[in-house]
Amino acid sequence: MKSHSLKFLRIVVAVVALLALTWLFVDFTGAAAVRLAWLAKIQLVPVLLAVNVVAILILALLTLVFGRLYCSVICPLGITQDIVIWLRRVFSSKKNRRLGLYRFTPEHKAWRYGFLGLFIVVAVLGLISLVPMSFAGILDPYSIYGRIAGQGIVPLWRAGASAVAEAQAANGNYLFAGEVPAALANFNIAVSVVAAVTFIIVAVFAIRTGRGYCNTVCPVGTILGFLSRFSLLRPLIDESKCNRCGSCGRKCKAKCIDTKNHVIDLSRCVVCLDCINNCTQGAISYGFRRKTVKKAVAAESTTSADKTEKTDSSRRAFLVGTAIVAGAAAASAADKVTDGGLAPIKAKKRHKDAAPAVPAGAISLRHFRSHCTACQLCISECPNNVLRPGTSLDGFMQPVMVFTDGFCRTDCNRCSQVCPTGALRPISVEEKTAWKIGTAVVDPEICISAAYGQACGNCVRHCPAEAISMVKGENGHMRPVVNESICIGCGNCEYHCPAGRAGQLSSNKAAIYVNGIEVHQKI
Amino acid sequence: MADNNNNTNQSRRRFLRNLGIFSAAGALASCGASTGEKKAPAKHTDGPMTMRTNHNTGDTVSLLGYGCMRFPTIGMRDGTDDDKLDQEAINKSVDYALEHGVNYFDTSPAYCKGQSEAAIGEALSRHPRDKYFIATKLSNFSPSTWPYEESVKMFENSLKYLRTDYVDYLLLHAVGGGGLDNLHARYLDNGVLKYLQDQKEKGVIRNLGFSYHGDIEVFDYLLKQMDEGNMHWDFVQIQLNYVDWKATPDEEPHSTNANYLYHELEKRNIPVVIMEPLLGGRLASLPDPITRQLKERRPDDSVASWAFRFAGSEPGILTVLSGMTYMDHLIDNLGTYSSLEPLTDEEKTFLHRIAVEYQENKVVPCTACNYCMPCPYGVDIPGTFTHYNKCINENNLPRDYSDPRYAEARKAYLYGYDRSVPRLRQAGMCVACGSCVSHCPQSINIPVELHKIDKYTEDLRGKA
Repeated sequence: MKSHSLKFLRIVVAVVALLALTWLFVDFTGAAAVRLAWLAKIQLVPVLLAVNVVAILILALLTLVFGRLYCSVICPLGITQDIVIWLRRVFSSKKNRRLGLYRFTPEHKAWRYGFLGLFIVVAVLGLISLVPMSFAGILDPYSIYGRIAGQGIVPLWRAGASAVAEAQAANGNYLFAGEVPAALANFNIAVSVVAAVTFIIVAVFAIRTGRGYCNTVCPVGTILGFLSRFSLLRPLIDESKCNRCGSCGRKCKAKCIDTKNHVIDLSRCVVCLDCINNCTQGAISYGFRRKTVKKAVAAESTTSADKTEKTDSSRRAFLVGTAIVAGAAAASAADKVTDGGLAPIKAKKRHKDAAPAVPAGAISLRHFRSHCTACQLCISECPNNVLRPGTSLDGFMQPVMVFTDGFCRTDCNRCSQVCPTGALRPISVEEKTAWKIGTAVVDPEICISAAYGQACGNCVRHCPAEAISMVKGENGHMRPVVNESICIGCGNCEYHCPAGRAGQLSSNKAAIYVNGIEVHQKI
Repeated sequence: MADNNNNTNQSRRRFLRNLGIFSAAGALASCGASTGEKKAPAKHTDGPMTMRTNHNTGDTVSLLGYGCMRFPTIGMRDGTDDDKLDQEAINKSVDYALEHGVNYFDTSPAYCKGQSEAAIGEALSRHPRDKYFIATKLSNFSPSTWPYEESVKMFENSLKYLRTDYVDYLLLHAVGGGGLDNLHARYLDNGVLKYLQDQKEKGVIRNLGFSYHGDIEVFDYLLKQMDEGNMHWDFVQIQLNYVDWKATPDEEPHSTNANYLYHELEKRNIPVVIMEPLLGGRLASLPDPITRQLKERRPDDSVASWAFRFAGSEPGILTVLSGMTYMDHLIDNLGTYSSLEPLTDEEKTFLHRIAVEYQENKVVPCTACNYCMPCPYGVDIPGTFTHYNKCINENNLPRDYSDPRYAEARKAYLYGYDRSVPRLRQAGMCVACGSCVSHCPQSINIPVELHKIDKYTEDLRGKA
């Protein structure tokens, strides 16, 4: 095949893949979740964490046949860098463009394997639950992109969509009015800082060193490099045609063509095929490996001897027990003198000491935290406004369930369907109705019924498991009680509880809230 | 030609829909909603405003009375939730109304979060006092206003806000709610009625009457007191419209049978003031099949005009109150009553049939009067009912997948709901404290209806 058309094909596939994956993040209707979730599930780190043997074999085979094509057409961060690199070229001087912007450098072995070693150590610490897997996810290119999308692109998209929806609905057209989640619903300052800093680092790398990030820092690039150096198809230099102009080397964004020795470092080549198009002599081609080709740069796979200080995650470093003054103001109906208007409502807070809850499919908190790389996909997908990035150190950036502005619908399993790392295993809607992820507990001191004798029972009315009932308390008031054996922890009660919501009440928390359980149970 | 008709129909429907959206955003649009197209004011120059005479005082009152419960807010104009009244728009409407013969203005200390009296007071003070009649009420609903001093203070404040030293019509407000006990607590045992009668002696009140909703026992009791010479009622305000008008006066239940109420008053020669002629705007926007039947008969008349003609047709009626939020409502109503074309017997029979058909729709009989508001738990009760009723009227309440319009109707219902009422103010947040129930003049069991709507909504949300 002609190299021009090959390169064109590579660019088309890459752009489509990036757009599709981004669409998966921004689409709030759930349509993309059904059709495009596989794009996240073929990313290398998630594939390894999910022990998806079929995908591992396919990716290995792909790399053994084509080289590191993965880095050019599958990896969203790689494609993003290509766009930055392209922009840099577009905005550089004509002369620089003609001469090329790069020059060959040998691989930075120490750094390269050092970062891989660091990644492996942190990932192992994650797997044995000493740190959350999101720490390793800081280096995972897919998760990096996910955080950029989730914290950057998603809010922008939603803001735009709600503006469109507003305009449409004003004309009585409800294409998706009412469905657009709040733009900043999932925004989290810590995650956005991590996302922004990594994006800047990656972009600076891309501008200054081409694919330097992929070939020095990225553990996925290094892992694939082990295989790609043996790839069946590869760029080949025909020494008999080469006039030693060095142009290919200066235009190689991977900086992996040693033009003097006619050697291409295949562990770093991302198969962009630029070199082939740039060679005026037609001396470079993409084809089957030949015996006569000079030996590829010897690449002793040294295991990193770097000693990685393991960071001791103090589990409850953040928890500050603020004494909660329930206040004695009774929840009596306001004395109504005039008609109309809306009583104030306030933002509900989650109980600080509530145990974290994670979605059905997580198996256990431990399993979840040891597999989630914090790519933010489930958070972006959640249609019920329940998942938020965690801020505690032991679940840093990983989603936790917050039931103050929504509850986990028993008829929705979208997060479990999209999770690529296996932190959430797919669970059917039917299974989910009897899948216990937490237990509701009652705080009778702020319950308007138990404390003040107000008629309520909203938790009872909304419980899908019929796990809550009202009984007479010691003070003679009716109070809710929870049958913990059938409560599934969906948060319906916490969301609908008037305590913490009604402006007239002094409490800022629900009087019934979900405590996550360590190990999820089928009931 | 056919195309043309189609276009107007569509633009009218679009307008109605938009109006629905606005109405849910704040105070509710109510009457004559169908005059969206810029209509030349030519329509109401057909004749002079129909006038009725109050035989007690000789007042010549316009058949169209201006209801001051549904005044526009700033928020309706600029799309915010600012519920401060739009004084500029109110002044304009009031000027226009006076200019076209409307001379009866009905307000209350409770209306529009308590802003109504001051607003109409300001608007009317720009005109000579003898050109109009003011009706207001002693709205001592809250137990904190039951003591004599508090009620008197409320009346004195009314005079202050209305910028006048006398009130033409003063009503005991919404008696019937809470039964006889409530009547005794609010007006009889604390001496407040006596005080009002004294004010009438002094000429501070020119006509003393009551407005009635709810328990028929109270209505009958007050009339019996009049028969026995213990009390005197110069006028009575009742809810009357073709849905609440049963075929005979004796049909049960009396409490909502306007036929019974009206004839009891007519027998005693008491002038009758009509409220809720449109049921809070519900009779201005009817389900499509019904609308078509009305339009077939009088293609150029608004849907609302039928309800106004019905309400004005009985001769004992002094005035028909309409809470005209927008100038459009006013223009349409002026058209209907300038001059009134009374219903024929055949048309009355026709409207009774329409009423039966209408009631087969399971709409919540909410008139969006806002008496229930504010709900202490932040629920937007009238907003929720208005949206639900609107979806019934527009056939957007899908029952199951077999409905061929299921997906479209589901979207219109759910998204329209989220748009008109924020989730945290929707039906699911009702804790059934019941504090709204006693305030509802339509005797709607609000928590029960809210929970039904919540269940329906949640089921629909689950069935994508």
